Formats: sequence, C-alpha cells, structure tokens
Amino acid sequence: MNSASNTPPSRRARSRRHKARRAEARTGLLFLAPALLLVIVFRIFPLGWGFLISLTDATSTDPGSFIGAGNYLRALDDPNFRASIANAVVILLSVPAFVTIPLLLAILIDQGVPGRTFFRSVYFLPTVLSSVIIGSIFSVVLGFRGSFNAMLQLLGLPAVDWLGQSATALPVTLAIQSWSTFGMGVLIFLAGLSTVSRDTVEAARLEGARMWQIWWHVIIPQLRPIIEFSVVITTIGLLTSMFGLIYVLTAGGPGTATTVPEYLIWIAQGRLNMPAYAAALSMILFCITGVLAFLQIRMMSRNTNV
Amino acid sequence: MHQLKLAAAITALLTASPALAQEIVVWDVNVDSPSHATYYDSAKAAFEAAHPGATLTFLSQPDGEYYTLLGTALASKTGPDVIWANGGAQAKALVGGLIPLDDKLPDLIAKLVGTSAFTASDGKLYFIPTTLQGHVVYYNKRLYENAGLDPEAPPTTWAEVTSMCDAIKAKGEAACFMMANKEGYEAEFFLSEMANQSLTAQQQADWLAGKLHWSDPPIKAILQTWVDTAKDGWYQEGGNSQTMFMDEFTLFSQGVGANVWGLLSNVAHWKVFEEDMGVENVGVYPMPSPTVAADQHEGAPGVPLDGGVGYGVNKDSPNPDLAIDAVRILASGDVLAHLVNDSGVVPANTDVDTTGIDSPGLKQIMGWLATRAVPTTHANSSAAELDEWHRQSQILLNGETTVDEAAAALDKVQAQAKPQ
Repeated sequence: MNSASNTPPSRRARSRRHKARRAEARTGLLFLAPALLLVIVFRIFPLGWGFLISLTDATSTDPGSFIGAGNYLRALDDPNFRASIANAVVILLSVPAFVTIPLLLAILIDQGVPGRTFFRSVYFLPTVLSSVIIGSIFSVVLGFRGSFNAMLQLLGLPAVDWLGQSATALPVTLAIQSWSTFGMGVLIFLAGLSTVSRDTVEAARLEGARMWQIWWHVIIPQLRPIIEFSVVITTIGLLTSMFGLIYVLTAGGPGTATTVPEYLIWIAQGRLNMPAYAAALSMILFCITGVLAFLQIRMMSRNTNV
Repeated sequence: MHQLKLAAAITALLTASPALAQEIVVWDVNVDSPSHATYYDSAKAAFEAAHPGATLTFLSQPDGEYYTLLGTALASKTGPDVIWANGGAQAKALVGGLIPLDDKLPDLIAKLVGTSAFTASDGKLYFIPTTLQGHVVYYNKRLYENAGLDPEAPPTTWAEVTSMCDAIKAKGEAACFMMANKEGYEAEFFLSEMANQSLTAQQQADWLAGKLHWSDPPIKAILQTWVDTAKDGWYQEGGNSQTMFMDEFTLFSQGVGANVWGLLSNVAHWKVFEEDMGVENVGVYPMPSPTVAADQHEGAPGVPLDGGVGYGVNKDSPNPDLAIDAVRILASGDVLAHLVNDSGVVPANTDVDTTGIDSPGLKQIMGWLATRAVPTTHANSSAAELDEWHRQSQILLNGETTVDEAAAALDKVQAQAKPQ
C-alpha cells in the first residue's frame, strides 16, 4: 500500500473523531448549560452590573452620572471604611483560633472521651441557631445589666460594658461568632478524622511513639487538606457573614469598633441612600476576599502537589 | 400571524393590567400594629367608596430594613404606589422618585402643620404628613417625690435641671436621665433637645443649609454638654450597649430613670407612658438648654417639632391620580381621628379634634405646639451627618475621643453631604 491510498481513510477517521469530539463537547455543554446559565444570570451579570453602578453617583431614585473611580477614591479617604478594613484584619488574625478550637475538640471526641455523643450534639447545637437569635441572646447575657455581669458582681468583680466599650466589643463579638460556628468545624474535622488510616497510627504506636507525636507527625499531616479547607471557608465566612450578629449585638459600635466592610456596605445602601458607593465598597470587599481565597487555594494545591 | 397577535394581546394586557386592576398599594411599617387597624380600615373603606372598582392595599414592611427595601424597589421600578416615610433626612432622600404634591392637594396642605420635614431643597412638598413628631421630656413623678422634688413643678431652666439631677443622684434610687445609645438614636434626640433653646432661628436655618458647622461654637457646645452630662453621672451605666426602642422606654416605665427624652407620636409618647405608669405618675416638660439664644426665652424652652410620618406618591405609579387621592384620604381629618384616638399620635392635620381626649400630658403638649415649636435640628441634618454623629457620640461617651476631634470628623461629613 502506498501513502496515497492511505490518506483518504486517515482523513476520514480524523474527521470522524473530530465530529465525535464536537458532538461530545456539545452534549457536555448542554448538560452544563443550566448551571452555567444560573451562574451567569445570578452571579456574573449582577457582579458586572454592580461594577458599572460603582462608577456612577447613582441613588435609589436617580441613575446618576459616570464619575469614574470617584467612589473608590472616596473609600480610600473614608476613615470608617479604613476602620472596617482594620477590623477585618483583626478578624482574619483570629482565623487560626477559629480553626484550632474545633480541631482540638474533634480530637478529644475522636479519642473517645466519656459522653462524646452528648458533646458532639451539644457542640453542634449553636450551628442551627440563626445569627439574629444568637445576637439577641448574648445582648441580654452580656448587657451591662445582664446575667454575666450579675455573676461577676456576685463574685465581687466589677461589671463591664462588654458590648459598649471599644476595647472589648470586637473580641467579645468574635468569641460569640466562634461559639456559634465551631460546631460545624468539629463536624468537618470528625469526618476528616474518620478517613485517617488506622494502620499508620497503629504502626506509629508499635514503634513507641507517644500520643502527641502520633497526632503531630501522623494524624495532623493526613488532616492537612481538611485543615486547609477549613481555613478557606472560615476566612470567607468571617469576611462576609458576620453582618447578622453585628447588626443585633453592637450595631457596628461603639464608634467603629465592630464595623466590618459588609456592615458599612449595608449602611451606605440602606441608611445613606448611596447604592453606588455601596457597590464600590462591595467590589473592594469582593477583590479582598477573592485574592485571599485564591492565595489559600494556591497554597492548598501546592501542598497537595508536594 | 395568529401567534404574533396573541403575543401582542398578552403583552398589552400585562402592560395595562395595573391600570385595569386599579389597585393602589401602600407600603407602611405600622400595618400590623393593632392600634393602627381602625385607621387603615377606615382609609380603605373611604377610598374604595370614593373609587368603585379600585382597591387600597396596605403591605406591611419590616421597620429596620424598610429604607433598604424601599430604595431597592424604587431603583428597580417595583416600588409601591404610595410610600410611607419618616420626616427629615430619610424622606428627603427619596424625593427623586416621587411626585411633588403642592399643586395636587392645596386644600389639604393648607390645614397641615409640620410640612418642612417633607419639603425638599427645591421647595416642593413630596409627602403629606399625617402625624407630628417632636421631643419633650417625660418624667416619673414618684421618683421626683421620693427625691424630695415637687412632682408638679418640673424644671424650666438649665439650673433647675441640674439641681433636679443632683437630687435624683443623691437619692440613688434611679438614674437622672435614661441613656440608650447603642444605635446612636439617643444622640440624635439630644442634639434636637439641646439646640431647641440654644440656637437662634437664623442658626437653625443655617444648620439646615449646611452653613452652621459642627465645629462652630453653638454646636460644639452641644457636643461638650453631651460629654459633661455623662461625666456628671446623669445617665445609667452601659448606655452604649442599651437599645432605645427595644428597651429604654420600657426601663423608664419600670423606674430605672427619672427622666427620658421621648417623642410626641407613634412610640415612646404620652399615651404609652400614661398607660404603662398611670396618668398620675407621668409628667412632661420641654427640655431647657445650658445657654439661651437671643431670640429664645429663659424659662420657656421650645419643643422641637416637625412632621412625623407622611405618605408620598411614587412617580412610577401606573395610577398616580388614584394614589394621590389615597394620600388625601390617609391624611384627612375624619380618617386620621381614628389614629389619634387609638394610638395617641399628635396629628399634622389641624382639622382633627383632640379636645375629647382626656390626657393632661396631651393637653400640655397641644398647648405648647401653638407657641413654642422650634425646628427639629437632627431632622434637618443629612443622613450621613447623623450616621457619623451616632459613632462620634458613642466614643465621646466612652471618653475615646475629644469634642474637637469629633467636631472635625463631623465637619468633614457635613462638607460632603451639604457642599457649599
């Protein structure tokens, strides 16, 4: 057989394969279409629309005119926004605590402490409460005339305005946020612990490793993807889902002590009738959250590859 | 072709349906309040009798998120026909989406008091006020008596307020004044209460125009009084974590404080306190200021007063004439009388007869309205200034900033909100 006689069937075969691939791609795209459509309509389009609004001086009753980066420059000059970013940094610094506490509790439960079924349920209980309910409960408990101060006074200690002083308001708010969310973290880590190879743990034990050595050198490394996942979702959650708690607990005060970017966005939109400025703040928050998530995911994938 | 005609017919029907249905929708935060039920029922009955085939529907809205929801609805052209709003900054921020009402309801407007809270910078009236809102001090006569004070002789000068507070503090039974500034609303009330006698009429006008600044002596003196009264122990502890509308007024009724800066209408007013504490235990007086302006009178403080709540008409309403008539009915004397009787609001329409209401508190307030009304300073501030005043007042109360720093921060916000 010469090459000339071979060519037409080869071309035909390539063409058939090409058509099959295109048909397969079309089918795949068809399956993807509903999800893609939802993402485009409800995520990408509002994001683009929000960005366009952020370049105007629109109010709720006036489409406004194009002002370029005016709202972004205003944000840079806004001491309240700068304070909210500083608070966000403090909140981010608390991420290790938000991850470590549920990890330690999950380890204790996994070790088979007495009453672990009870603790597992109790730890998870706050997770099912809405942030508004949690905020209301702690407003009463930690109010100046609340039960916590009453207890302190019984012990001969002075009452403290936990939610009304700048020095205590944010740490207390973070502690409450931690209390209300750590149950989910415990559940995630318990799921992760159930996947840890018992053979490696047993092998380490036979080699004479102590308990903490087993945890540090055998179990924690195997939990690494779970820990990294927890760090990512905790970071995003803390930056974007504390509004309800802050709204009820402190209303962002005193001053700007508990004002976070999302709370300021709500004020700009709802109280000040400045949706364009609110859109600009939202874009900035989106970029910050996006960059942090990207860095964390990059770190995760690098560690996975290693 | 048939399909095309059918589609055109459906489109035309959908477009015309609001006009055909002639349903006028009102957004209001008080729809679920039992004390407002007869008012809404009578307004609905009067409207539907006047316009056979049309209906008036009240949709309840959440108080806390109302302006966020309304702003979003107006921006997306899905707002109601008739819009409820508080007077002042909130109402004025909405005027771009409303129909001016001056030439639509001239007869009704001639009978109204408190329209300035709903008049925009273009001089046009965009909401018809139904209630008056203002600030007076309510006091607990039993606590006054326990402290050796004459319960029938409330203070009329700053010196008398100071000595009253000294007596209340010496007794130690209650705080002199209630303080609930978690949301910053107490600081708003304080601004109006202190400005009522210490600013001249010209200074009040300058404030509205943004020509009087926070760092100017008359306003800075108010900030200083805020700090000084706290240092002098006028308030109960924990004021920055106490909510106003949820808790403060209940605590006052329970005797936690001897005095409270209250309102004239809707909440925290004479009827609420008289019902909670007993008519014989509640007194009322206008708040004196530390300084008395040249055109004010020592011993006769003013009552900060303006339109309380009102109704406006969405310019995108498919039935604007019907919506305007719904507003007319909601503010008419005979319909509004139900609200006055049931919930104790002070009406903006002078046609409403309040002489039949047997309340010493209301009688005193109605007497002051004619002669002592002064502008509500906080309602003449921009929303951005009030928002910043909330923050600055809290850190002033905690001693975390100085009056000069707070005034400078507020000046900056004022310059952006009211550029000269």
